[in-house]
Amino acid sequence: MKYKSFQRKVCILFSVVLILGSLAGCEKKGTAGNMGSAEEEDVSGRAMGRYMEEELSLPADFSSIYDMKKLEDGSIRMAGCSEDRESVWESKDSGISWEKVYDFPDEIQDNVRYTAVSPGGRIACAYDESRDTDMKEIFYMIEPDGSFGRIPFELPQAEGVNMNLVMQILFVGNEQILIGDAQGIFHLVNAADGSVVRTFEFGSSGKLYLAVAMGKMLLFQSDSEILLYDSETGERKNTGEAMQNGITESGMLRAADTLDVGESIYYVTEQGMYHYRFGGSVVEQLIDGGLNSLGSSSVYVNTLLMLDEGNLLVAESHTNEDAKSKAGLLKFTYSADTPSKPDKELKVYSLYENDSIRQAVSRFQKEHADVYVHFEAALSGEDGMTVSDALKTLTTEIMAGKGPDVLVLDGMPVETYAEKGILRDLSSVIEENKEKYFEDVRNAYRNKQGELCAVPTRFLIPMVQAGSAYYVPDEDFNTFMERAGVLNNMEPKEAVSRFWYSSSAAWRKEDKTLDESRVKEFFGKLKQAYGEPAAPAEENEDSATAGSAQPNRLAEDDIIRGEFKMLEGSWNVSAGLFGTNPDYALLLAVTEQLESGNFGCMPGQAEHVFVPSVTVGISSKGSQPETAEQFVKYLFSGEMQKISQGSGLPVQKEAFRSIIDGHQYEGNTSQVDLEEISFSLVPRTEEEIQKLMGLAESLKTPALQDEVIREAVLEQGEKVLKGEAAPEEAAEAVTQKVNLYLAE
Amino acid sequence: MKIRGRKDFRGLLWILPSLLGVSVLYLLPYLDVFRRSFTGAVEEQFTGLDNYRNVLGNTAFLLAVKNTFLFTLVCIPILISAALLCAVLLFGSKYGGILKSAFLMPMALPAVSVALLWRLLFHSQGLVNQWLVWFGTGESDWMNTGKAFWILVAGYIWKNLGYDIILWMAGLSGISESIYEAARVDGAGGWQCFLRITLPNLKSSLYTITVLSFLNSFKVFREVYLVAGDYPHESIYMMQHLFNNWFQSFSFDKLSAAAVMEGGVLLLVILLLQKIWRTD
Repeated sequence: MKYKSFQRKVCILFSVVLILGSLAGCEKKGTAGNMGSAEEEDVSGRAMGRYMEEELSLPADFSSIYDMKKLEDGSIRMAGCSEDRESVWESKDSGISWEKVYDFPDEIQDNVRYTAVSPGGRIACAYDESRDTDMKEIFYMIEPDGSFGRIPFELPQAEGVNMNLVMQILFVGNEQILIGDAQGIFHLVNAADGSVVRTFEFGSSGKLYLAVAMGKMLLFQSDSEILLYDSETGERKNTGEAMQNGITESGMLRAADTLDVGESIYYVTEQGMYHYRFGGSVVEQLIDGGLNSLGSSSVYVNTLLMLDEGNLLVAESHTNEDAKSKAGLLKFTYSADTPSKPDKELKVYSLYENDSIRQAVSRFQKEHADVYVHFEAALSGEDGMTVSDALKTLTTEIMAGKGPDVLVLDGMPVETYAEKGILRDLSSVIEENKEKYFEDVRNAYRNKQGELCAVPTRFLIPMVQAGSAYYVPDEDFNTFMERAGVLNNMEPKEAVSRFWYSSSAAWRKEDKTLDESRVKEFFGKLKQAYGEPAAPAEENEDSATAGSAQPNRLAEDDIIRGEFKMLEGSWNVSAGLFGTNPDYALLLAVTEQLESGNFGCMPGQAEHVFVPSVTVGISSKGSQPETAEQFVKYLFSGEMQKISQGSGLPVQKEAFRSIIDGHQYEGNTSQVDLEEISFSLVPRTEEEIQKLMGLAESLKTPALQDEVIREAVLEQGEKVLKGEAAPEEAAEAVTQKVNLYLAE
Repeated sequence: MKIRGRKDFRGLLWILPSLLGVSVLYLLPYLDVFRRSFTGAVEEQFTGLDNYRNVLGNTAFLLAVKNTFLFTLVCIPILISAALLCAVLLFGSKYGGILKSAFLMPMALPAVSVALLWRLLFHSQGLVNQWLVWFGTGESDWMNTGKAFWILVAGYIWKNLGYDIILWMAGLSGISESIYEAARVDGAGGWQCFLRITLPNLKSSLYTITVLSFLNSFKVFREVYLVAGDYPHESIYMMQHLFNNWFQSFSFDKLSAAAVMEGGVLLLVILLLQKIWRTD
C-alpha cells in the first residue's frame, strides 16, 4: 500500500514537472522578446540617430570618379574624368564646392586605366602606352602642383601569358604605391625610384583579391577570406573572427577608409556601411543600405572618404542612362535627432526578385526619409520554396494582419485576389491620361464594375520577325500558320510556349471556363505548321529550359533568342516577347539583314496582345494605405519608368520613347560586331520610333497569365507536336484539368 | 456514491491538460471556422447559407467528396482484411516478431522519401515503364490516368499494413489460449476456431482499427501532393487538395463551409460506428 502511494506521488510529481516544463519553455521565449523591447524603451522609447544621405552637386558631368583623399590641410582632392578629360579637383568645404586644380597632362590623357590619390595630394596612374598593338602599361606620378614624371617600375612578365596587366593601384602613405597585377600579386613599390619594397602573394588558388590601404595597414579581401598585413614589416596580423563573419553576411567590401593609423576600418558593402576595430568582437553597422542609395542595385560605390566620425563622402557610379553624369558624390551626415529606423514601414512583396522594384524601393526611400520600405522577394531559389508554398505563407500573413502593403502580382492569381477583396480599387489613385500613358495596358485588369485592382507598370509585346517568305505584317493566325516552315527546327515545347501569348487570350469564355474548341484549333494549327516531328534530338539547353516556371520565364521567350537562331539559319521565323531586353537597334538590324524582312504583332487567335508585367496592387489589409498609394504612384513617375531593368517596356509613352530612341548614342555612336551580325548604335529615326510606338499604341488585349493553364497547355501541346496525342485529345485533357481548377 | 464522485473528479483532473489542449488547438478554432462558414471570405460580412449552397453546387467539391469517399470505401476493407490475415499468420509463426518489424518499415519512411520513390517508379519515363518496355508491353502515364487512383490505394495499404497488423496482433494476444484448447477438445477445427472464437473476440479491436485507418486515410494527401502537386489527375483529387487550393486563393468562405460539413460527416460516422459496436 505504501509502495502504491509512493508510486502515485511520483507519477503526479512527474506530470506536474512535465506540464510546468512545457509552460516554462513558452514563457522563456516571451520573456526574451519582452526584454529586448523593454531595453529599447528604457533608453528613450525608440532608438535615435541615423546617417542622412545628401547628393552633392558636382561642377561638371563626370563619367567616373577614380579616387579622393582628405589632405593634411583638411581639403579634399579628387581625380576623375569629366567631359572626356582626366582632371584633378579640390574642395575646401567638405565636398560642397569644387575647383579644378589641373587637367592630367596631355601626354597621358585618354588612356589612363587606374588612378589613385595620396593623402599628400599626389596622383599615381597606370597608363596604357600601346599604339594599336599589345597593351603596355607604364606608371606616372603627378605632383600636387601638376608636374609629372614616370615611375621607373614595370610589372614583371607573367608566366604562361603574353602580358601582365594592372588590376588595381593605391597609395600606402604618400611615398609608396601598391600595384595589383593580373596574376594576383601585389607589388609595394617605392614611388621615388620604382624599387619593390615587398610583394604579397596568396598562393595559386586563382582567387581575385581586392586591396585596401588604411594608414600603414593593408587589407586584402577575396570572396572567402580577409587578410591583414603591416606594410612596414610585411607581417600578417589577425583581423578577428567578427569581421570575417561580418563580411560573409554583408557581402564583399566595395570601398574602405579609416580615421586612424589602421587600427580600425570603415567599409561599405551592398548592405550598408560598417565599422570594425581590428581584433574586436563586434562589427558595427553604421548605415543600413536598405534606407539609402548604398543598397541600390544601380549604384556602385567606388570610393569611401571618412571626413570625421559623423561625416563621410561616397563616390559612386550608376547605371541610369538618362543621367548626364554617370558618377556622383554622396554625403552622409549623422543626425542624432532622427530615429535610427523610420517610423513608417512599407512592406512590398513579390514572388520573384525584381530589379525595377528594388531600384524603386531605394529611390523612394531616399525621397521619403520617414519611410522604411521592406522589399521581400519570396522565391530566392535557395530554400526550395515553391510558388504554392509562398502563396500559402502570404495568405496566412495577410489574414493575420501582418501582410504586405504593396503586392507585385506577377505570378499570382490577380483576378482571384481582386474578387476576394484582397486588392483595393486603385481607380482614384491611377488617373487616366491617354496622352501620357498606354491606357489600354494600364487598364488590363479593370473589371466590369470599373474597378481597377491591379495595374501593370510595364508590358511586353509578343512579336514575330521574318523575311517576307514567312511573314507579312497584319496577317491572321491561319494564314501565318499555313505557310510551310514557319516553325522549322523549333523544339515542340518552345513553339507552344512562344505562340501561347497571342492565342491564349482568346480562350476564356464568359463564364470563365476554357473554350475547348479554340484550344483544339490552336493545337491543330501549330501541328499543321510544325509537320511531322524530327528524329528525337538530344535534349539541349533550349529545350530543357523552354516553358519552365522559373522567374525568368519571360526572358526565356525573348525574341532576341529567336533572332540569333534565325541569323544562324536554324529558324525561319523569330517569335517571342519584345521588352525583357528592349534592344531596338538589334531588332532593326536583324530585320534589315532578312530578305524583305519585317516585324510586327505575333499572329494568334487573339489580336493586338500584350503581356502585362510588374503588375502592382495595394492590399486592402495593409497598414500603410497612404504610403502604399504614394509608392504605386511613384512607380508610374517618369524617373522610374525610364529605368530599364529587364522587366518590360514602360507604360509611360515618354519613357517608352526614351528607351527605344537611342538618344544615348547622340554624338557617341559605336559599332557592334557580333559573329552573326554587325550594326551601328545610333539614334533611331523618327520613322523607326513611330513604327514601334504605333505598334504599342495598337495593343488592346492582355495575354492570359495563369500558370496552371499554361503548364497544362505546354504539357499537352508538346505531346501534339511530338505526335503523341491528337489535337482534340490534348484539348480535352487541358480543359478537363483546367476546368477543375477553374471550378474551385 | 460519495467515493465514486470523488473518483470521477480525479479522472477529470487527469484528462484536463489534454482537454485544455484540444479545446484551445481544435475546438475553439473549429468554432471560429463554424462562424466563418456564414460570412464572406475576407470582409466577413454575414452571408447566411450562401457558402453552403456554393459549396454544394461546386463541381470541384463534389468530385473531391466522391474521390475521398471512394478511396475510403475501397481502402479500408482491403486494409483491415489484409492486415488481419497477415496478423493471424504472423501470430502463429516463430518469425512473427521479425516480420512484424519489416511490415512496420514503410510507416517509418518520411512522406518525402515515399513521394520520391513513387515518382521514380511511376513517372511517364520512370522505372515501371522501363520494365514494361523490356517485357515488350505498352507504357502508361501512370499518374495522369485513372490508374493513379489504384497506385494511391496500393500505396496507402503498403504504408499502413504494418500498423494495422500490430493492432490486430495486440487483439489476438488478448484472447486466452484456454478458449482455443476447450474448443479443440470439443472437436472444433482451425477454421471454426477462427470464425467462432478469434473473430468475435476481435470486435473491440476492429472498432479502434477502423477509426484509426479511417483517420490515416486522410494523411495519404501528403504523398499525393508531393508527387502530383496542387492539381493531380482528377481520380486522385481529394478533399485536402481542394482545401489546400481554397486556402491559397483566400476562399475562406467555401473552405469553412466545407470543413464544417466534413467535420459533421466524420463525427456522424464515428458515432455510428460506436453505436454499432455498443449495440453488438
